[in-house]
Amino acid sequence: MRRRGFSLIEVLVSLGILAIVITTTIAMFAERSRRLRQAHEVTLAYQALANEAELWRRVDFKDIDAQPLTFRSDLTIIAPMTPYSASVKIDTPRSDVRNITLTIRWDTAQHAVSLALARADTGGSNLW
Amino acid sequence: MVSGQRTAGSGQESRRLAPCSLSAARCPLRLRGYSLIEISVTLAIFGIFLFIVVSLTAEMRRNEKRWPINFMAHPDISAVVSRLRRDVYDSKYFPDGWQSYSQSNETPIIYTITPASGETIVWDFRTPGQVTRHAWTSNQPQTDWTARGTPTFTTEKYDAPNGQKGIRVTATDDKGKLAIDQILIPRPHD
Repeated sequence: MRRRGFSLIEVLVSLGILAIVITTTIAMFAERSRRLRQAHEVTLAYQALANEAELWRRVDFKDIDAQPLTFRSDLTIIAPMTPYSASVKIDTPRSDVRNITLTIRWDTAQHAVSLALARADTGGSNLW
Repeated sequence: MVSGQRTAGSGQESRRLAPCSLSAARCPLRLRGYSLIEISVTLAIFGIFLFIVVSLTAEMRRNEKRWPINFMAHPDISAVVSRLRRDVYDSKYFPDGWQSYSQSNETPIIYTITPASGETIVWDFRTPGQVTRHAWTSNQPQTDWTARGTPTFTTEKYDAPNGQKGIRVTATDDKGKLAIDQILIPRPHD
């Protein structure tokens, strides 16, 4: 056998194994890179959301509806995720409750994280 | 008998290792070496594999450089942020000075309420790679807590849109990228 060289089937099997190894390696690299990027993005996005939530917690309940539906905190930390969009949504399930949802979208809106905040009218000081 | 076997063995070995002309058509492949085309194909396949691995590694490194270091993944560093957040949330005011410390971006001083009484907290960010939290009850030192291997933290006063005073704590990685940015505003207290 060895004196005749390798048969077609031997060569094909070898190339098949090599192809599997190369494909697996490439897929592993790509997946690791993607997950690492996502972890960075989510970590940064949640810091930005937490900062904005901190401001919305402090707004007097009676003034919530009059607030602009935009982020007012500094979003420098999510600059590496440019282009991104940040939005605020206020729902009124009851007259004395406001649900505030903060959302950041990036990667052409394929990825998004949200943070929801429930505010209730305590009738007194701005406790939460 | 024994010597006969040796003789036969020596004969087979000498046949197997007989000199082989490079031009001999019947010469075993391994003894002839590999042809140029065989080596070229092998090197080409290896080169493709090497190129893919190198280019993927370079792409990963480029991608990693784009992002700040995820300090929040380090327990000590996230502990600094969460303890500072709790201190600011529970604070009543920020004294101008305490003991030998003055209120500054590197040594924020916080007076906090506790179930029993109050505590004066000094966060010391002055030593690179280290953060220390000193706590006093009345004038008595209570606890000192130090986190090591931290980035360089800094704080600044933060005025919330509703007029409340807070603290903004930031940290950058060794490439100068903003990695931690937290706005902390005290809870309202009676």
